[in-house]
Amino acid sequence: MPGELADEGQRRAMLAEIDSSCRAPVLFFVISGLAWLLLGTLLALVTSIKLHSPGFLAGWDFLTFGRVRPAHLNAVIYGFASQTGIAVTIWLMCRLCRVPLISGGLIILAAIFWNVGLTIGLIGILAGDSTAIEWLELPGYSTPILFFSYALVAVWSIITFRLRRESHLYVSQWYLLGAILWFPWLYATAQIMLILEPVRGTVQAAINWWFAHNVLGLWFTPIGLAAIYYFIPKVIGRPIHSYYLSVLGFWSLALFYNWNGLHHLIGGPMPAWMITVSVVASVMMLIPVITVAINHHFTMVGHFGKLRYSPTLRFVVVGALCYTATSLQGVANSLRSYSEIVHFTHHTIAHAHLGLYGFFTMVMFGSLYYIIPRISGREWPSLGLISIHFWGCFLGLVLYVVPLSYGGILQGLAMNDATVPFMKVVEGTLPWLKLRTFAGLLMALGHVAFVGNLVWLLARVFGPYRKPVVAILSGTETPAIAGK
Amino acid sequence: MKYGPLLFLGILLTLASSWVGLVLAPYKQLGGLLPNPATNAVGVVSYFPEARKGEAQQGAEHYRSLGCVYCHSQQVRPAGFGGDIDRGWGRRRSVSRDYVHDRPVMLGTSRTGPDLTNIGERQSDYGWHYTHLYNPQITSKGSVMPPYPFLFEKRRIGPGGVSTNALKLVGEFAPGDGWEVVPTPAARQLVEYLRSLKSSYDLPEAPLPKAAGDAVTATAVQ
Amino acid sequence: MSPIGILLLFGAMAVPVVALACLRWAAKNGQLQNGDRGALLPFDLEEPLDKATDQILNRKSAKS
Ligand code: HEC
Repeated sequence: MPGELADEGQRRAMLAEIDSSCRAPVLFFVISGLAWLLLGTLLALVTSIKLHSPGFLAGWDFLTFGRVRPAHLNAVIYGFASQTGIAVTIWLMCRLCRVPLISGGLIILAAIFWNVGLTIGLIGILAGDSTAIEWLELPGYSTPILFFSYALVAVWSIITFRLRRESHLYVSQWYLLGAILWFPWLYATAQIMLILEPVRGTVQAAINWWFAHNVLGLWFTPIGLAAIYYFIPKVIGRPIHSYYLSVLGFWSLALFYNWNGLHHLIGGPMPAWMITVSVVASVMMLIPVITVAINHHFTMVGHFGKLRYSPTLRFVVVGALCYTATSLQGVANSLRSYSEIVHFTHHTIAHAHLGLYGFFTMVMFGSLYYIIPRISGREWPSLGLISIHFWGCFLGLVLYVVPLSYGGILQGLAMNDATVPFMKVVEGTLPWLKLRTFAGLLMALGHVAFVGNLVWLLARVFGPYRKPVVAILSGTETPAIAGK
Repeated sequence: MKYGPLLFLGILLTLASSWVGLVLAPYKQLGGLLPNPATNAVGVVSYFPEARKGEAQQGAEHYRSLGCVYCHSQQVRPAGFGGDIDRGWGRRRSVSRDYVHDRPVMLGTSRTGPDLTNIGERQSDYGWHYTHLYNPQITSKGSVMPPYPFLFEKRRIGPGGVSTNALKLVGEFAPGDGWEVVPTPAARQLVEYLRSLKSSYDLPEAPLPKAAGDAVTATAVQ
Repeated sequence: MSPIGILLLFGAMAVPVVALACLRWAAKNGQLQNGDRGALLPFDLEEPLDKATDQILNRKSAKS
């Protein structure tokens, strides 16, 4: 059916070539991403423990809460999430454009630069050079390296897109193209106007939140949604519920999301119109969120049985559910009356994790379960480790987000009541913060299981434990469960 | 849909819209704000907010570098919106002009600790700040604020006796016989910065409430 | 109203107009036709429609 090669044998060979051409570049991004994930998880645990036991590791300035926290954020955002996102983007681009990966060396070069830039930046943060601008803490001397690396990836993506052998575009490609073009614009604006040539006063705050909100909505969200739109149909073997809804979903996201950012400044020292505009746009987000939710969840109807056997589907479907949940929570948070309570509390932290962990990270995990066997030609060695990964992350996520969201509301209500002494407010948050550390440990367990499984798999490619290539694509080693 | 350029155009135009609306427009509206001149009783003109100088400005760098912003906001929401003013975190709401000197502007998004917009007025005692930074448990038992022992130097008491700026530490926090704890320059700068955080001046767009002037005392802040 | 305000207002009004024009253009050019074809793009020869993939957690029972 697809492709312009006439001969069926040629077409099969092309499919195999696409996957194998992705091997080194995609794996490079994945492995570096996961290394940052482990480091980021460690930093997260330290941060979390410090918040209920402030004496923990308090003797050194480079391990003080105010440095470990941004180090955690930047490690997971730019180290793990962005690099894994780029890996998934590259693979999806090749597959959907039906072209083998071109100039893999360029991609690997980009990955090297990215990691070097980030390492310098993270050391900078721990050494005290953080900019203290949330989501942009990496010091100005490291970010140009990241930007250069990113430019390579973007140029590569656009060239691949131009070379595509399939004239029709799938939903995922719109989202990926969006992410690729939006991110450099956001990043360049923020870097130039906040760090290289800072603007004066609260304009900084406006740009800060325009950036920080959009990096979620126009960088991570589109990549995550692109993956969901690809993998759910792929695993269950049925097309997306409504292709037309997906058009509406994409364009309404593109129109409204980028106006949302300033709802982070509700009550703050900004002119009212700026905040109002963002609140209105945030409420309009109901349109893309509901259309995407209908599309994802209805596609699954009748196929829930497949969740049992497919790790990809499990992670991706949990991710899709979290996208709906976090988006609806986000709309609520942007309302003045609700923001009055939860702004400045741990509720926001729970919300951010529901989005970046529950949605994006889970979808990325699911995607990697699908991609890695296909590009490496090796099966996942341990099914037990897959289960530990899933349940560790899933339970950790639930125990993180639900209690902390609730605890955050209590914190906000107490804080707004001036008769409650501040120390009482602080005390009230402690049980939730301790539970959060426990949840973090579960997630960490999941991550270790995943990385262990991957290392084991890679050992079969490279090491003395070399196993023969299995023909995953033709299904000989992976019998598919027929049609239902 | 198969037409790539249409997609490109749409993607760029949508973001351009909010770039104009949320980056360029705020820049035009707020980027040129200047401090407000005020004339005092003897006719001397001064400008508010005042620029931070010397040690206070160096202290701002420590505040940034140590990440105090992850637990402390510096923005007072208007009366009736949240408990900010009732808690004594400021006498009036914060407005854009309050931040014209700040680089970076550290509004903050978390109130794990109290808002610090007006901490200089609320708590100006050096000793309190030093002790609190050295170990918050001494002044505020049960606080989750981290101790900052590395901003202090523990040293043997010299022949001249205990230094004048040594922290008065007792009980479990005492450094031990023959030792004393003194603030480093960084600690001193940080405290100068904290003491400089005041929103006690009038602005045309955010006047101080009349008569409420002295209602804010350290005791109201709990 | 300042010139910039007027510019913004007109800009804001222009957005839906441009969007509608794009939509009309797209419809006329057949961009919106054959949407179902688009929905089938993830599938290929090796992993065709109606074939569930990635059912690997069933590996043990499938082998035995
Ligand atoms: C982990 C969160 C956290 C961090 C990081 C933090 N604080 Fe605090 N801070 C608190 C909490 C909680 C309180 C309230 C209890 C207390 O007085 O210790 C507080 C209180 C304060 C107070 C007293 C406020 C008042 O109204 O009495 C000052 C001043 C202060 N912090 C300054 C700082 C400075 C300066 C830094 C950075 C070097 C900092 N804090 C970092 C949590 C934090």
